Amino acid sequence: MSDTRSLAKFVIVFAVAYAVLYVLSVQYNLALFTYHAATEEFHFLVQPTSDGPAMYWYGWLVTSGLGALAIAALASWLPVISVNRLWHGAAWTVPLAVMLVFVYILRRYFLR
Amino acid sequence: MIVFLLILHSLLAVALLGAITHQTISAWAPASRGAAGSFIVRMRAVPPTSYVNAVIVLYALTALLGAIIYPSYRLNVRIVLEQMQLYVPNGAFELKEHFVALGLGMLPAYWYFWHAPQLAEYGRTRAVLTALLAFIVWWGFVVGHILNNIRGFDL
Repeated sequence: MSDTRSLAKFVIVFAVAYAVLYVLSVQYNLALFTYHAATEEFHFLVQPTSDGPAMYWYGWLVTSGLGALAIAALASWLPVISVNRLWHGAAWTVPLAVMLVFVYILRRYFLR
Repeated sequence: MIVFLLILHSLLAVALLGAITHQTISAWAPASRGAAGSFIVRMRAVPPTSYVNAVIVLYALTALLGAIIYPSYRLNVRIVLEQMQLYVPNGAFELKEHFVALGLGMLPAYWYFWHAPQLAEYGRTRAVLTALLAFIVWWGFVVGHILNNIRGFDL
């Protein structure tokens, strides 16, 4: 029962934290690493464009994935956070809200 | 090699599309188990829980293959889209990239709420998570298809 409650806390907090960290990573470019596609080179943290475009998407995924993993692990371990006080609907409302934020952020592509 | 991976990526996406669409329909409009009848009734009657592991594996594999071929798109396609001022398809792909990433973050919750004891209070969360993933998969599939055929569409 305790394991089930910890798992419930973990997945709800992970879904929320991941979505929030992902949009923050994109908006403030917090990529853990940069991939230069033309030269096929990885660089730690954010590096500017050199020969060809710099790709940050992989870095954003890792930043938000590791960050959410740490936050969710901490939340599921802390006894003060009760699963009864966590609304399970947050697992979809927050990612849905972040999807709408991305539509807003990228609106310039569709309004020209 | 890239063409082979692109075709494999799209084939996996087709399988994922079928699985998540069946599951979404049966989660939102279930028919009584074993109900005989039309194609639609039988589609609604599938046991949605049986799709969960397949959806997770197919989503992860499709996203992984997409990530592998993404640099080729970035170098050979996106630059051309920008030069041709094709803003809508470019923006649609940007949305695909972010939606797929957000879908990855929802997979643990999706897995849990379908495997957790089938409590009635989780019913809506299960159904909405499934519908969101279905939307992401459909968006990714349609956008990928349009970009792959963009010359034919003359966008």
